[in-house]
Parts: sequence; structure tokens; C-alpha cells
Amino acid sequence: MPPAQQKILIVDDDADFRQSLAFFLESHGYTVRQAADGRQGLLLARLERPDLIIMDLMMSERTEGLFAIQELRRSADLPQTPIFVVSSLYAKVPDFRVPPEQAWLGHDEFFSKPLDLPRLLEAIRRRLSTEATGETTQA
Amino acid sequence: MNLLLDKRQEGPPLVVVIDDDAAMRLSCRKILVKTGLRVETFEDGMQGLDAVARLKPDVLVVDLKMPGISGMEVISRVQQMDPSVVIVVITGYATIDTAVEAMKSGAYDFLPKPFSPDELRLITNRALERRRLMVEARRQELERELLKRRFVTFVSHQLQTPLAAIHQYLNVLKHLEGDPAAEARRREWFDRCLARTEEMLSLIRNWLTLSAIEGQCLARQRVRVDLAPIVASVLETCEPLAEAEEISVESDLPEGCLTVGDPDCLRVLAENLITNAVKYNKPGGRVSVSARASGGEVILAVADTGIGIPEQYQRFLFDEFFRVKTPNGSKKPGAGLGLCIVKRIVGELGGYIEVDSQVGVGTTFRVHLPAASGRHEVQAAQEETGAACTTEDIDRG
Repeated sequence: MPPAQQKILIVDDDADFRQSLAFFLESHGYTVRQAADGRQGLLLARLERPDLIIMDLMMSERTEGLFAIQELRRSADLPQTPIFVVSSLYAKVPDFRVPPEQAWLGHDEFFSKPLDLPRLLEAIRRRLSTEATGETTQA
Repeated sequence: MNLLLDKRQEGPPLVVVIDDDAAMRLSCRKILVKTGLRVETFEDGMQGLDAVARLKPDVLVVDLKMPGISGMEVISRVQQMDPSVVIVVITGYATIDTAVEAMKSGAYDFLPKPFSPDELRLITNRALERRRLMVEARRQELERELLKRRFVTFVSHQLQTPLAAIHQYLNVLKHLEGDPAAEARRREWFDRCLARTEEMLSLIRNWLTLSAIEGQCLARQRVRVDLAPIVASVLETCEPLAEAEEISVESDLPEGCLTVGDPDCLRVLAENLITNAVKYNKPGGRVSVSARASGGEVILAVADTGIGIPEQYQRFLFDEFFRVKTPNGSKKPGAGLGLCIVKRIVGELGGYIEVDSQVGVGTTFRVHLPAASGRHEVQAAQEETGAACTTEDIDRG
């Protein structure tokens, strides 16, 4: 699938961060949607069915990103969408204590802020090319 | 330490009694159970120590003279195990010296034999009160630690967020060098980088101001000062911000609003209130700033026609890091330290601050400061203390 038909959703509460990343990804041929918080992110994820989600872990509420990820993974129509987690505060995803039935954080890759853009791009390409070949049902 | 806190919700406090005398154990149990306490008794030090480790009692009553492990030994081991257990020793008249020794090694009180039920109750109650205070002190200490940790985390995040944005703009420009679309936005992105840099600088400035106030040396001088020209000069510096946000500013600043304080502090105070009024306003909105002297007070009022603050949040307004969300759920740039600084300055100068706010209509802050009396002499600035504090603060920062 050519990148233009591949849609990436960025969920981050910092407008500058979001817009600069969106510009970068768009200039590499992707279609980009943006959301400013977890709630908006969930909404857009359901509406737009992105191929990949880039989610900031720490938005205005400390655990907002985490809950949004759990919610995404629980929703029946989006469980497989790859999620890349970014965070400025942690060098890796923190080990939060969650109830046993949710004792996993369904993200696929972790990136620390500030982002290493070439590395991110490489990871997106890798991920979306396997997605594309692995899933034949995708419209 | 968490156990120490959680335990209290489990029911009545627990007293463990260790005494080799069966009659003594029985009567202690009877007396204390009647006062609503939970009581467990043990006949020697070994069993008693095991029970303390297992049950984590609030109070331990221990006989000093027992076969096997002595009372003194029990005290020292319990002290090592859990210093928050309050220990009362039972002792015969002949061994008062030992009781003193026991208290030196950590026992809280002693009961000389024979004792009356009232004496046991009294001393146990005192021990429980002591325990309550210890738990409370520990809780406060934990809270303070948490706050301190939170402060560091929060400030790091507040600095990292704009840094990440700046970094990314520069990085995108670097990686898309030669791309006409990126080149076309270069100017705009540089402006955004500058704005974010300003945000970081202001955070650091506020942070330093706050730490200076915590060292209680912000108001370095107490001089007779007219509020009006100070506020007027602040208004001038805020003009570009107001223009950018399309806010009109009006002021009524008659001369002669004399108070006693530090002009620098008063400037910081006015600056924080006025920038907030501009920031949390609506496009095309208005900011009114006025000062007047009335009834022994000088009152500075800053009113905006902004988003207002819901009543339930008004009491958090002056807390560190609190920020009002705009109606669309986002937050304005800033660290939430401004009003915290304002409140501390007002307090230092012997005044108070009022807020009057209506959602969607606007907010008015009124700062009341004591007016300088006619006879008030200009006091010499405490320059030496001030200078010392500044150096220390810079080192700390």
C-alpha cells in the first residue's frame, strides 16, 4: 500500500509537537490526523480507523495516555492497530500497577521525547509494511 | 511504613501485654478490653516478640522482670523491629532505676506495681495518643516527600515539553532541508520556537522566585512606596502581550496609593495578576486595572472579561501548579505558579487577596495591602540579608 493511503493518528496535548510531527510524516507521504487528548484520540481512532497511532503517555492527566491505550485495546474494532507510545518523562514505559485483567499495556513500541525522527520513520515503515502484507482483508 | 498507616482502619487499636504473671495478664486484658481496645497477652518474651512482629500492635505493655528473655531485651528488639510501637514497662517499686533505664532505651512510660485499673487506663491512653501523633507525623512526612517528588517531576515535565517541541521543529527543518514546503514554514516555526523558549524562561524565573520566597527573603526591603507608578510600568511591559491577544487594557491609577513593601515584589505581584488577566481572557476582551487607598488599605484590583473560574476550583487557585482549563478543555501555557507567588507576596506584606469570578463573565482579583501611615518612616533596606539570600538562591537553582 502506498503511504498516502496509510493513516497515522497523533495523540499529544502539545500543539507544536503534534503539528511538527504531522508535517514531517505528511511530507513522507502519510495521511495524518491529530488529537489533543485521550478522549479526542479515542473518538478519532474509532471514526478514522488509522493504520497506526502515536500516543503521548503523559497528557494533562497523568495516566490519560495509559487509559486511552487500554480503552483502544479493549474496543472490539481496533484491537490490532499498532500503537507507538512517546513520553518525555520516562526512558521506558513505567510499570504501573493495574488490575490483573488489564495487567498489560498494549503498546507496540516505545519512543522517548524528543523523538528521533529517522528512527520513528523507520519503525513506522517497518510496522506498516508488515501490517499491509499480513492483512489481506484491509480495504 | 504503609502498614503503619493502613492498620488504623482495621478497627480498635491493639495492645500486646507480655507478663509472666497469669493474674496480671488477665486483669490487664479485662481492664483494657472494657475501654474498647483489642488486647493480646503473652507469657514470655519470645512469644511476645513473635506476636509484635506478626500483629504489629499500637502499644506494647511489657513486664521488665521475666524469666527467659528480659523486658529490657524485648524493648531493644522491638525498637529495632518497629520503632513506631509505643512501649510501656511494668515494674516493681524496687526497680525504678531499671524503669528509668528502660525509658532511656526507648520505652515511653512505666507503670509501677501495684497499679490501679485507672492508672493502667490512663497510661495506655497516653501511649495511644503518643502513637496517634507518631502515625500522624509519619503521614505528614510522607506527604511532604511526595510533594517534593511531585515538584521535581512536574518541573522536569514542564521544561521537557517545550524543549521537545523546539527540538522537533529544528529537527524537522534539518531532515526536510531543501523541501520547499518546509522552507516556507521556517519563519513560522522559528517564531514558535522562540515562544516556547520564552515559556521555559518564565517557568525558571517563577521557580526561582518561589524558592526565594520559601527562604523567606523575597521582600528584602520595607519601604514606603506608591503602588500606582509600579503598576503603570508593569502595564507598559504587558502591552505587546495584550495586543497579540487582542485585549484592550484600561487603568485607573491615581497617585498616592502608599503602602509599605518591596517595590520588586510589588512589581512581580502586579505582573502575575495582569498577565493572567490577559492570558485567560477572550479575544476582544478587556482588562481593567485600578488602585485606590481606602480605610487604612491600598487596594489593587485586576479584572478581566475572560473565561472565569468555576466555583469548585476557586479554592485551588493559589495552589502550586494549579491551572484553569479553558472551556475546550485545553490549558494556557504556564506552570501554574503565578498565583502561588502572588499569594505568598501578599502574605509577606501583611495583606490578603480576594477573588470574585463568574464562569463566562470574568474574574476580578483584589489585593488588599496595609496603607503606609503618615508617620511611617522609610526603613533602611536590609541589604546584607537580601544579598546573602540571592547568592544562596542562585546556587540552589
